[in-house]
Amino acid sequence: MGREESWITRWLPPIILFFGGIFLWEAAVRGFQIEQFLLPAPSVIAGTFVENFERLVSIGWFTTKEALGGFVIGCTAGIVVAFATSRWTTASETLMPFAIAANSVPIIAFAPIVNNWFGVDNPLSKMVIVAIIVFFPMMINTVRGLTLVDAAQLELMRSYAAAPSEILFKLRLPNALPYMFNAFKIAASLSMIGAVVSEYFGGNRSALGIFITQEAAQFRFANAWAGIIIACIVGLAFYTVVVLVERLAIPWHSSVRGNNPGG
Amino acid sequence: MTILSINNVSKRFNAGSSNETVALQNINLTIESDEFVSIIGPSGCGKSTLLRVIGDLIAPSEGKVSIHGKSAAQSRLDQDYGMVFQAPVLLEWRRILPNVVLPMELAGIPKPEREKTARNLLAQVGLKGFERHYPWQLSGGMQQRVAIARALAIRPKLLLMDEPFGALDEMTRERMNLQLHDIWRESDTTVLFVTHSISEAVFLSTKIIVMSARPGQILEVIDIDLPRQRDDSTREDVRFFEQERAVREWLRRAESGG
Repeated sequence: MGREESWITRWLPPIILFFGGIFLWEAAVRGFQIEQFLLPAPSVIAGTFVENFERLVSIGWFTTKEALGGFVIGCTAGIVVAFATSRWTTASETLMPFAIAANSVPIIAFAPIVNNWFGVDNPLSKMVIVAIIVFFPMMINTVRGLTLVDAAQLELMRSYAAAPSEILFKLRLPNALPYMFNAFKIAASLSMIGAVVSEYFGGNRSALGIFITQEAAQFRFANAWAGIIIACIVGLAFYTVVVLVERLAIPWHSSVRGNNPGG
Repeated sequence: MTILSINNVSKRFNAGSSNETVALQNINLTIESDEFVSIIGPSGCGKSTLLRVIGDLIAPSEGKVSIHGKSAAQSRLDQDYGMVFQAPVLLEWRRILPNVVLPMELAGIPKPEREKTARNLLAQVGLKGFERHYPWQLSGGMQQRVAIARALAIRPKLLLMDEPFGALDEMTRERMNLQLHDIWRESDTTVLFVTHSISEAVFLSTKIIVMSARPGQILEVIDIDLPRQRDDSTREDVRFFEQERAVREWLRRAESGG
């Protein structure tokens, strides 16, 4: 199968599905005469999107900065804690059950409390929520990557008298990279969700979550939908960037190269 | 010159508990340099355990191993030996060249020198042109050759090999045997080779150690009466069949419990 052909067979179905979905939505809204406040037609949403483009971009950027800030803080903290604790097995074994438990807690529920701590208008309060949300998957995955090392590879390093620091940087760290990229992907999706949803509990007027709730409250549903689409685009873009970086960083890993054996 | 001496080595796993297993019992063995010694025995006889004790990857319960007059621990730290495992154990994030370079990197050899050595070794095992491939792009046999090149990278006086060709098909295995034989003859390396294939052991070795299982003990040391240089015709030599038969005889005794 040629390169061109495989590109088409791979991407054509999702593209058809996407535009087919939009078409069905438009047709359903017109055909069943669905009221604007229940579900605006895609053409109407697109219209408001064009009309309010600059405003939407500016509020989208405001919230993106919160998500990015939280992502960076949370991931950095997760990686640092993972490295620190993996150095002492007892420390990571003590922390892991708590981290796993905390990971299944709906941290977003703390948003009103954190808003109260850092100020409802302060972007920092959203960053903190995002940071806490992404911290746990980041830390858990990094600890797993650092500790779930092939016993034979450890034996090999030992046979060459490798120092602990050499085992960390030449074996454990590269072994952890695929786990860490999994966490980055999870964190990328969670950070935009975390930022927008924590804004639903109050925040700056120029924030995306606030825009969506206020427009919806004032029955300007097409505007609210346009805001939601901005959130979707940013979330997808964020995820895509992580996937691209992953491809460059770990081209050797089966998640990137696929499972087809080479020649 | 004696390169390896093993004195009264025993190894017990789960010592003191109800499921204590004696993997090795009173192993005494001396290996002279430039020899190719195979250890053969029924599965579970402690062949691999013995190799790991020699490499200081596990500690013996009793007894002493010395390589070149040094303790096993010291010779591991001095990188006196190279080890090839059952699986290639390549680092999947490193391309082939950096995989071969690894032991030299850990030994602190300067970069230009270690890359040159690695290139030569890859050519020696017939993998010239694969330097920039990733391990997953190579077949099992090719990966094992990379592992052999890596083990040779630090010019070890002693090469410990734990059933390196066990996972390969018969034809590939015979080709690899020939290649390994040439490498051994061209270098001044002593090889200690664990296998469960009789013909492989006879083809490669100057000496074969037959072990019995539970507790792992040395049953017999057989000197192989074949010319030092082996090639494809060796397998058709009458003496080859005779040696094979002798080894098979001892293995039967090993399996029936001595």
